[in-house]
This record gives sequence, C-alpha cells and structure tokens, in this order.
Amino acid sequence: MSNQKKFIVSHAPFWLDGSRISIRSYNLMIAALPALLFGIAQYGMPAIGVITLAISSAIIWEYLWDVITKQAVTIGDGNAAVIGLLFGMLLPATAPWWFVIIGTFIAVIIGKQIYGGIGANAFNPVLVAIAILMLSWKYVFNFDGMLLNYDFNFLAVYPLAALKHFGVSGIESFNMGDLLMGQQIGGIGTGFGLGLIIGGAYLIIRGYIRWEISASFIVGMFITAMLFNLSDSARFAGPLVHLFTGYTLIGIFFLATEDSSSPVNFIPMLIYGAGAGVLTVLIRNIGVYVDGVVFAILAMNLVSPLLDMIRPKAIGKVV
Amino acid sequence: MTSKKELQVAYGLAIIFLVVGILSYAAFPAKAPDQPVRLMFEGVAGNVLFDHKTHTVDSGYGIACQDCHHNLEAGETNPESCGACHEIESGDEDVPKRSDAFHLQCIGCHKEGDAGPQECSGCHVM
Repeated sequence: MSNQKKFIVSHAPFWLDGSRISIRSYNLMIAALPALLFGIAQYGMPAIGVITLAISSAIIWEYLWDVITKQAVTIGDGNAAVIGLLFGMLLPATAPWWFVIIGTFIAVIIGKQIYGGIGANAFNPVLVAIAILMLSWKYVFNFDGMLLNYDFNFLAVYPLAALKHFGVSGIESFNMGDLLMGQQIGGIGTGFGLGLIIGGAYLIIRGYIRWEISASFIVGMFITAMLFNLSDSARFAGPLVHLFTGYTLIGIFFLATEDSSSPVNFIPMLIYGAGAGVLTVLIRNIGVYVDGVVFAILAMNLVSPLLDMIRPKAIGKVV
Repeated sequence: MTSKKELQVAYGLAIIFLVVGILSYAAFPAKAPDQPVRLMFEGVAGNVLFDHKTHTVDSGYGIACQDCHHNLEAGETNPESCGACHEIESGDEDVPKRSDAFHLQCIGCHKEGDAGPQECSGCHVM
C-alpha cells in the first residue's frame, strides 16, 4: 500500500532540500513542550504517566498496524508520536491507563491508518479520538470531577463549565492574565495559554503551520464571542475568556492546522479557520457541550475538501 | 522512505516512554488525600461541586469538623463521610436520606450565616 505510487511528479531536474516529515514532527513536539512542561509541573507524576503512555502506545499501534498489514514500518516519520502527544495533552492528568490506550488506538488506527496513513486522513486523528471518547466516557472530560484531589492556589473550577452552568458570574473571579498564565484547571497541555502561543508562533515562523488558519480562527471566534457578549453580557462571556480557556489555543495552533485535514489555498484557509472559530463559540454558548473546539474543527475538517475547490484560476485558462 | 536513524528514534521513544508510563501509573496510583480537597456530589438534579477545603481551613470559612459531621465524639479527628450513614434512599425516619441531609446541612447553614448560595442553581450544575 504505502509503496504504491500516490502521485506522479514532473521531469527532472529536482532539488532535494533535505526536509523530512520526521523533522516536522520533531518540531511540532518541541513547540508543544512549553505548554506540556507547565502541565507536568502543575499535575505531577500522573501527567507524565498519561503523556508517556499516550506517545508510546500511539507509536506501538502504528507499528502493529504496519506489521499486520505487511507494510513498511512508518513510525520513523514521528507522526504517531505527535498524535500521541497531542492526544495526551488534551486529557486530564488522572485519565485511566486503559482510556489512554483506547484513545491512541482510535486516533492512530481509526483516525489515520484506515484512510491510508499519513496525509490521507480526512479528519484530525486526535480529534476523532477525543470526540468518540467524549461521547463514550463523558465523565473523563469533566475536569471538575476528575481533578478533585488537586489542591491549587487558584480557583480550581473548570472555567468553561462554570461559565456554561452559572453564567458570567461563575467566572468573575478569574482574571485574563491568570488564565493566560495557566492558573486554571483543564487538560494537561491546554491550560498554559502563553506556552501554546509561543509554540504556535514558533511553528508559524518556521513554516510548519499556516498562519492563515490560526489567525482566522482567532478572528472568527473573537467576533462571534463579542456579538454574543454584546447581546447578553450576563450570560455570554467576552472573547478573551473564550480565547484563554478550554481547548481553544491548542486547537488554534496544533489541531486545526493539521495539514491533511485542512485546506491548502488562501481563501479556503481563511474560511476554514473562521468557521472553526465561529462554531466553537456557537457550540459553547448555545450548544449542549461545555467546550466546542473538538466538534467545531471536526465539522470544518468535513468541509475542507469542498472549501479547497475555491482555487486560483489557472494561468492562461480560457473559460 | 524512513531512514534507519529515524526508526531507531521511534523505537527508542516507544520503549522508554512505555516503561516510564507503566512505572508512573504503577508507582503513583491515584489516592485520595486524608482530608478531601473538593467533593463532587452526584445527583439527578445536577452535580454539586463542593469545596471541602475552603469550608474547613481557617483562611476559608473555618468551619469545625463537628459542625457538619455531627456524630463526631469529642477529640475524634477522623469523621466518617456523610454517605456512611445517610443512604441514597432511607427507610429510617431518624436518618434523613442523603439528598435531604445535604439540603438541610448546606442550605440551613447558608441561610443561618447569610452566606453562600441558597437557590438550587447556585450549587447544582443544571
């Protein structure tokens, strides 16, 4: 399968620039480090357990798939490790071991390999896994319930849940600076906003992710949240609260930008990002889920091939 | 195609992280602290997240153990949990069922001290 020709390129001469998928994967992991290390410092050993088990099991699932389907072993490209890492970062530190292993199975096998492996998946594998697990074991994503035994020096209430259930008065005691600096509970690698922004900026500067998607996501989310906030400021929080809580920042920089499930042309990227931002706020504010990032990005993954039909006119083409 | 070096990195990562992962789960099993920090009371009317620590510590509300754990003997420091006696459905008239006990305890004290939520939606996540 993997040795089959997927596309035919033009004639020589070629220019080998030395870039490899593995380098991209390593860079993605490096970019995730600030947020990850902060999460580990905050949640301790259980967080290390979740992250290491997620990375190793993701690699092992891909290896087993390669062996069973008699393909060349593809784990060297580092994509499985990235999937495992991002999946682990979205979980609470107290996620049970079996949950992590089932999750990486769904992400790597159902989310990626059955489509034909890297570059062929229609949806972000990490989000496919999170969505299925969220529907199957809802309680694991109830961060308030999962992190009961952690004693923090800040209000240990999941901000988005408080916002959903008690309105803006439920999150009055949070200030934006603290939220940005990770003074909130949530997934292992999702709380430290500043770390995620630094990681995202690194990836954008190095060209591993597209700024168009991240920027339009922020704009889409900002405008929608602001309109809601203007219409009823007691019920709907302002745009910054939405930006700094839940899966927003990891979604903007690490999940929505996954290359195989996002568009490649300029206008489509803008629509894709903005759509994900708008949907996130809609789901949070009037949907049933506490956080909307997962389903918002998956929905935009779905329309991504359609969006990519908006493309520049070929030079010299006569209608 | 994957180079040999890349494969070695992946194998190494998988093996080392698997060992670390298993060790962290095995050596640091989740255990509840002696005194609960927060408690989640689950019920059909919506769960209630109760901040036990804020209610007990001196920098919080500084409520003494026996104010709520009413069957505590003098000098005893290790009270039983509410659910140990107050069952979900109670046939015993002297022991109110769990939801009644919580309602009496929480709302009663909130009213008495004129502090804390007294409405359903102030505690229950609906």
